Amino acid sequence: MPSPQTAPPIISTLASDPDMAELIQLFVEEIPDRVRTLQDFWQRGDLSELKRLAHQLKGSGGGYGFATLGAAAGNLEHTLNHAPGPQADLETVARQVDELVNLCARVRVA
Amino acid sequence: MANTEHKPVVLLVDDSIDVHRLLQARLRHEQIELVGTTKSAEAVDMARQHKPSTILLDLDMPGMDGFEVLRALKDDSAANSIPIIVLSGKAGSEDKVTAFDLGATDYVTKPFDLAELRARLRAALRLDHLLRLLAERAEVDGLTGLGNRAAFDKRWAEKVAESRRYGTPLSLAMLDIDYFKRINDTYGHPAGDQVLVGLAQSLQSESRSPDIACRYGGEEFALIMPSTGPAEAQIVAERIRAALAAQIWSRHPDSPITVSVGLVGSSGPIGDVTPDRWLEAADRNLYAAKRAGRNRCITADLAHAIPGAAKAA
Repeated sequence: MPSPQTAPPIISTLASDPDMAELIQLFVEEIPDRVRTLQDFWQRGDLSELKRLAHQLKGSGGGYGFATLGAAAGNLEHTLNHAPGPQADLETVARQVDELVNLCARVRVA
Repeated sequence: MANTEHKPVVLLVDDSIDVHRLLQARLRHEQIELVGTTKSAEAVDMARQHKPSTILLDLDMPGMDGFEVLRALKDDSAANSIPIIVLSGKAGSEDKVTAFDLGATDYVTKPFDLAELRARLRAALRLDHLLRLLAERAEVDGLTGLGNRAAFDKRWAEKVAESRRYGTPLSLAMLDIDYFKRINDTYGHPAGDQVLVGLAQSLQSESRSPDIACRYGGEEFALIMPSTGPAEAQIVAERIRAALAAQIWSRHPDSPITVSVGLVGSSGPIGDVTPDRWLEAADRNLYAAKRAGRNRCITADLAHAIPGAAKAA
């Protein structure tokens, strides 16, 4: 997996929509906070809160023009819907949290 | 309250603040007022408070999910006719079928296609407009413009329930035009119609703003007088009776028209009397007024008209 530094930035597909500019900026500015919260829940093992956050990111990712982000959050939510489960599931969760965090790190306004 | 600016209110129920922001921006140019909640359990209260013209309802919410909210909205007599557009991340037909079966009007999948969402919202608002129009029309008497029998039944039941709950006075007058059949037979149906409209006008001009006048059927009318005891109600009824008797009719200027009135009112707790029994008591007084020579109002206190009814209070 390429590191966030070398991977290309992710820009909203709705970036050219004047209605959306302000919202996208707000969303992007709030991403570091969300990532911290996400990692926090994961480290504390609070899977229900983690799921809630993943659910929100799934919806907003798509809605704000960051489809890959939304899809990654959706995958995480899907796995968590069957948690807490065997070890294998938690490994999947760990991998999906990483994937989501890496995608978030690449998100830019423009 | 709702609709003060004549802009239809749209209620958004979605647990994600991002979706609220998104739709605020996306629907900025629509002629609507968007209100919202991120807590699904608040949806029904919000719907009752704001009386929205359409509800946008997310399915996938923590706690009470969208299907449960949908069920609760459809079970609520004040909210059950509001068009609901379900918003969901799932495009599968199973959820769609469930949503429609539970009474949803439409279904939009996330992420939203802006043009589609706006078009579907407009369609739901049109539906709401027609439903409101239909509900209004269904309760208006075409000739007199007063509430019809259906409107009376509904409002009377509401007012009796209110009076029972709060112990407030309430009166009901039933009015019947004297010798109406003779007017129709002698001067023709247009003359009869003119008399019906004339009584409706007297009812409206002589009653007070909280009073509810309805055409009960044929030549029989009803006047609900909230927060009014029998003595005060009789004054209103007498005013109506006198106003009708004073009207001059273009089709038969030498034949004045009179009305008989049966009135039953309560100044205090009404006990467990039903709307139907109260109405029957007022009707009995109306026929007593007819037998006593017409063109008069016979009034009774509820406690006397229906002995025992008020004791339970």
